[in-house]
Amino acid sequence: MDETELIEEAKKGNKKALAEIVKKYEQTIYNFSFKICRDREKAENIMQETFFSMVKSLSQFDGNSKLSTWLYRIVANHCLMQARKEKNRSYISLENDEDLYSERHIADWASLPYKSTENDELRSILDRAIKKLSPDYRIVFLLRDVEGLSTEETADAANISIPAVKSRLHRARAFLRKEIDEAFKK
Amino acid sequence: MSKEIKVTCLEVMSHICDSLGEDLNSERCKDIKQHLEQCPECTNYFKSVEMTIDYYKKYNVDLPKSAHNRLMSFLDLDEDDQT
Repeated sequence: MDETELIEEAKKGNKKALAEIVKKYEQTIYNFSFKICRDREKAENIMQETFFSMVKSLSQFDGNSKLSTWLYRIVANHCLMQARKEKNRSYISLENDEDLYSERHIADWASLPYKSTENDELRSILDRAIKKLSPDYRIVFLLRDVEGLSTEETADAANISIPAVKSRLHRARAFLRKEIDEAFKK
Repeated sequence: MSKEIKVTCLEVMSHICDSLGEDLNSERCKDIKQHLEQCPECTNYFKSVEMTIDYYKKYNVDLPKSAHNRLMSFLDLDEDDQT
């Protein structure tokens, strides 16, 4: 069965078809959830909530967007809800563009020893940098740059306008680059 | 005679991100590309943004089998009871 047939069967209550859909997307959703919250336990909870929401509302899926984009919308929503529960967390402000581009000398990263993301030190730098970014920016960066959604699909999944996607994206990229660059210099 | 550079480093840095994965044939992007060819600082900046994205793309985690089993059980989709 192709995906459209699986969805139609799942809507009729076919548990085998539903299980196939879950199996197809569970790795993607778990990985994406982890990339947002940088915590395996939270990622698993968000994955469970995402598929639970999918099962409950699959009858409303009209096929106008890809199922993957629809799932990204659900998981992004759960990630934002999870972040709002962590009220005592504060994130860096990205309102001032000047701070993001104020370096006098831009280092050449080609000469850096960090080549593999299997390196624990590099993973730790990447985790620390993205955790400083507010989830609203994190989601846009991850959907557009890391997951490879189009600007339009990112806007749809994050429920924001296209100009807001572009604005958040370039600030998130610049901020992460600056944070990683500063960590490399230490 | 070398062509006049129409954009500054600051402009390149603040707009370069928009050009990554976007329409590279606009007049603005052509000016940026021309600037990039002549500015090592901006070239380094451009490459480091690309590497930042690449690092996050390659940093992935696998779904553990135990988490898969808990998910299927949570959704009441255990392999044994599917019809």
